[in-house]
Amino acid sequence: MSVGISGYFAGHGRRWKGLLAATAFVALTLSFGAASAKTLVIARDMDVNSLDIHRSWCETCIIYNEAVYEGLLTLDANNKFVPVIAESWQASDDLTTFTFKLNPKATFSDGSKVEAKDVKWSWERLKNIKSNGSGFADTIDTVESPDAETVVVKTKGPNSEFLNIISATFFGIINSDVAQAQGKAIAGTEAAQSDASEGWFMAHSAGSGPFVFESYEPGAELRLKRNEKYWREPAKVDEVVMRQVADSVAQAQLLQSGQIDVAMQVDAETAKTLTSPDVKVESVPSFNFIYVAMAPGAVENPFPMTPEIREAISIAIDRKALREFTVGEGNGELISVPFPLHFPGADGHAIPEYNPEKAKELLAKAGKGDGFTLSATFPKLNVYGVDLSIMMQKIQQDLAKINVTLDLKPVEMSAWREKISTDHIPFTVGYYSPDFYGTSQFVQTFGLAEGTLWFKRGGAERDPSYLIPENLTLMAQALKSKPEEAEKVWFKIGENIKNANVVIPIMSPNLLLTYSSKVHGMRNSAICILPLYEVSLDD
Amino acid sequence: MAMAIIRPKTMRRRLPSWVSPSFVIGGAVVLFWLFATLFPHWLSAFSPLDLAGRRLQPPSPDHLLGTDALGRDVFARTVYGARQSLPIAVLVVISAVLIGTAAGAIAGYRGGFVGAAIMRLVDITLSFPAILLAMAVAASLGPGLGNAAIAMVVVWWPIYARLVRAQVLEVREREHVEAAVAAGASDFRILTKHILPLCWTPVLISATMDLGQVILLGASLSFIGLGARPPTPEWGAMISDGTVYFYNWWIAFGAGMAILTIVLGFNFIGDGLRDYFDPRSSK
Repeated sequence: MSVGISGYFAGHGRRWKGLLAATAFVALTLSFGAASAKTLVIARDMDVNSLDIHRSWCETCIIYNEAVYEGLLTLDANNKFVPVIAESWQASDDLTTFTFKLNPKATFSDGSKVEAKDVKWSWERLKNIKSNGSGFADTIDTVESPDAETVVVKTKGPNSEFLNIISATFFGIINSDVAQAQGKAIAGTEAAQSDASEGWFMAHSAGSGPFVFESYEPGAELRLKRNEKYWREPAKVDEVVMRQVADSVAQAQLLQSGQIDVAMQVDAETAKTLTSPDVKVESVPSFNFIYVAMAPGAVENPFPMTPEIREAISIAIDRKALREFTVGEGNGELISVPFPLHFPGADGHAIPEYNPEKAKELLAKAGKGDGFTLSATFPKLNVYGVDLSIMMQKIQQDLAKINVTLDLKPVEMSAWREKISTDHIPFTVGYYSPDFYGTSQFVQTFGLAEGTLWFKRGGAERDPSYLIPENLTLMAQALKSKPEEAEKVWFKIGENIKNANVVIPIMSPNLLLTYSSKVHGMRNSAICILPLYEVSLDD
Repeated sequence: MAMAIIRPKTMRRRLPSWVSPSFVIGGAVVLFWLFATLFPHWLSAFSPLDLAGRRLQPPSPDHLLGTDALGRDVFARTVYGARQSLPIAVLVVISAVLIGTAAGAIAGYRGGFVGAAIMRLVDITLSFPAILLAMAVAASLGPGLGNAAIAMVVVWWPIYARLVRAQVLEVREREHVEAAVAAGASDFRILTKHILPLCWTPVLISATMDLGQVILLGASLSFIGLGARPPTPEWGAMISDGTVYFYNWWIAFGAGMAILTIVLGFNFIGDGLRDYFDPRSSK
């Protein structure tokens, strides 16, 4: 017997109609589901080194950490503390003991309660794992959990910035039971050698944040999905996809064509091409800054870089023109101390006046009126929308006017790091973004005293003449003081650093927020760059 | 009408067959860039390093190829760029020819262990993609045009070694060489007087074509930051600058056209020389 297709359909018509109807229903349901699911797609040049919160050291990691691992407290748009897992906190009068009461409603993404033991375990692991972020926990002496909802932290000394420090994303709280049982994570003093849980953290998450890890494909994308058991108001988007797009122009084109919702690294020139009414471009002040620096102890220095010579170089740089040539006027603020805008002690410092004539006089006084050549190795990068090569070429032109020749040597970042730590670099450029809202981190970096980063980078072992030991005493004083008094001390440290002309801050480039008009809640955060919890998406 | 048909035929008869239109165009282009190398200030009134006007201006009668991010005249930088690319290409090719010819001649004439050792070194070097090997050498030496030139010589000499060895193997079997051996001539004399003079034709053709390729490789190294250092006006570096300012297309346009024309120019000349020395290959 032969049954043709038409005959088959004729014979089984009712069954096929039923099947087709069912298929159509499923398809419609699925498509409705896809349409209603709110997925926020972000394009950025991802620099993920690790998704283990205690090993992570990158900007993408900071965004991820904040979204997945909540801390005890965070900062709002005005850099004021906002409670998250901690319901309340108290500092002792001598600023060495900090007591936190945890919110009894706080739960991890598996539904279990966030307890004091998790805080103790997380912070001890951060300290003991000896990774990049561990330095922030060095101030902690002990963490105790007298009961499930109380955490008592003793610091090694008075620290008025302790609450600021723990608002950094590295201090997010991990579900210690899950991380130990499933990830075999270790928090004890042997963590630096024995903890092998990074692979687990690259494929799982165990936090209490509004999102949970979904998937990560290196060089392609990082996906987060909404934590369905989140203990506070749920996140406003169902899913966040951070897609690897290195190029500023490509990011802008994807945004313009509607394929992404947020482009995070579009530079000022490219942003001018974003003319679609469906795209918003906001230029907002950032907490990032760019500086140039001289190492008095650099091996390649032709002779000692005396304070007169350093001052001459500083005032021979036309800062306003430099801003115009790199980010354009209105897209950045000039700064003169290495603290981000509006951080304690950052405001009110005068910008050194551009004065090539005085610079020449200073050089002549130092016996270097005929000029000299300075080796200038710098990282070949475009950071915060500033092409460092263009910036250095502009400075080269400025310094040529006082007979100082910059021998520009752009190199990869790794080569720059190696050189600045070993031989040091006579003249270079660097950049910095804060990890928390507080000034001590900048003094520890730029304080020009023993133990600070620029003690090593400046070549103090060869020429310690530029050091300012007073800055350490002042920092200790600031950390013991109430905010108003501390502000004055931080200001004084800023002036000390400025007058030394070893680290010469140039500008704080604005952050360009470029996003679709259907995105709301975009802002730049001092601690996590982009708080995903606050972002919503129109249908 | 009849004249119009006859005259071209007459003209064609007067020119040697290897002087093709492409050879003439190639020659003209290379002559132009040679002129730019020697007398750049005759072609552009602006300095390639100094501020010439407002930054990022599009092309205009004042600035034929606009200005770059530092307000420098892009046409001036393109013209002065020839001063970096051409001399280095010539230097690299001459060095590679000298080293490669010496190595290839020894390998071909002596053979044995020395010849095998040289040719294995050649094989190893040629087994790496040219750009990768050049990048590795330049990166290890550090950025700079001088180091980029050394890297390119390292990449290029084996090509000539292999070419010359093949020629030497063929020529050394000829009767006049056997006669020289019988007459008691030294190895050096046999090589330099009786063998190498008969090997230079393919080397010359290859070297001419390689000039364009070396310029391209040099520009590639500068593009990725391993060649010219700022603010040197170098074509690869200028294209790299242009990628940052993608919508200001003119920043990279001049350098791109310069590389395109000079590479084509050398290729056309090489084709013409090949036709001249080996007319059968063009048929």
